[in-house]
Amino acid sequence: MTNSMIKVDHITKTFNGFTAVNDASLEIEKGEIVCLIGPSGSGKSTLIRCINGLEHPETGKVYIDGEELDPKSGNFAQIRRKMGFVFQHFNLFPNMTVLENLTLAPVKVLGKSQQEAEDVAMKYLQVVGLVEKKDEYPNKLSGGQKQRVAIARALCLEPEMMLFDEPTSALDPEMVLDVLNVMKELANEGMTMIVVTHEMGFAKTVANRVVFLEDGKIVEDTDAKTFYENPESDRAKDFLSKVMY
Amino acid sequence: MNAFIEFLTLDNLTYMLFGLVWSVIYGVIVVLVGTILGIIGAALKISKHKVLQSIGGLYTTVFIGTPMMLQILFFAVALPQALSFTGMRFEPTTLGVVAMCLNAGAYQTELIRSGILGVDKGQWEATETLGLSYFQAMRYVILPQAFKRIIPPLISEFMTLIKDSSLLYNIGAIELTASASVLGSRSAGIMIPYLDAGIMYIVIYLILSRVEKMAERRLAVSD
Repeated sequence: MTNSMIKVDHITKTFNGFTAVNDASLEIEKGEIVCLIGPSGSGKSTLIRCINGLEHPETGKVYIDGEELDPKSGNFAQIRRKMGFVFQHFNLFPNMTVLENLTLAPVKVLGKSQQEAEDVAMKYLQVVGLVEKKDEYPNKLSGGQKQRVAIARALCLEPEMMLFDEPTSALDPEMVLDVLNVMKELANEGMTMIVVTHEMGFAKTVANRVVFLEDGKIVEDTDAKTFYENPESDRAKDFLSKVMY
Repeated sequence: MNAFIEFLTLDNLTYMLFGLVWSVIYGVIVVLVGTILGIIGAALKISKHKVLQSIGGLYTTVFIGTPMMLQILFFAVALPQALSFTGMRFEPTTLGVVAMCLNAGAYQTELIRSGILGVDKGQWEATETLGLSYFQAMRYVILPQAFKRIIPPLISEFMTLIKDSSLLYNIGAIELTASASVLGSRSAGIMIPYLDAGIMYIVIYLILSRVEKMAERRLAVSD
């Protein structure tokens, strides 16, 4: 019996009495590209952060490759390393150059030599198209460039899956495409991806599955084509009618 | 004015400069040790363990809540007296500097703590997702950013400590104010040596102010 790559089992997460995620369950297999969509406050960011261990659900469990993600257990950090995470606001380290941002974790966490780490870093800078920026500090980069560096930084740990939390929401429109193209490349190469996004075009063309949330609950979970052409639930229909201009 | 120029003999000047050098040395020692204590104190105060938090809180309450003069007297005079039964001999100046270090450490705790808390939460989350440990996150990402914020206040803290070292005069240490007092008691009046000491402190202040402004400008570049 093979384990799903990610299994979310009836998780609930509240913040000060507000229920952000309400009894959510889903399973994601290797190679799937899943988009989490829904109105603001629907719980999609909280859900993806629970999957990555940045938030800890009060009830329910998260399993990565069959192993339970538990902050109290000894292998918590190790399991989390299987997932690369890309933030809406990039979170690059301003006190380091692009190359240093990329090599820090491979050297300090994976124990690679500086040279090995740099070779890997250059490879991924190539993938995101920013080799020439390797010695720049983040404050010299545009938003789109920062996000592509952030993606490269996550990739340098060679994770099994990549999680994106609204990767393009903080970008000016003309930079969004560059980032989405990088993500599309990753998808084409078979990376398992979960993306919280408002970019309907991306979800429609790149995702093979869409999970629609509202008020913390998973309302619909179908393949992307079906979702956009013929959603089951009324709430999904309602949402789509509002967002597809 | 004539008396002032008469005062500036080579001997007197050397004696005063000797005191000034010691004032600066005390300043350097205290600011460095104080910074180390400050990092420890800040780590205690931001810790999630209530016990560690309380220890940090107690430290800052005691050393920020009482005058430095009292702390110096406590360590350099009271403690040796209380421990005299052990037969151990203590150097008052050393103990006085210890007291100053603990005091500076408490103020640094607050400064460094505010620097750390000023670092965006997203930075911590990024280190978590990359698998860095708490110590690695602090060492490579958080503290460097926290320190950038607090370097100008740190330089002015250094200046304050050079001036505060004058309190050590009360326990017989060698430093600038003591030098001025000694020369004043020898000669015709105490006014001129004190004026001279004042001028020397001001010169140090002006130099450090300049350094602070340069540091501020340099740090703003990488913002």
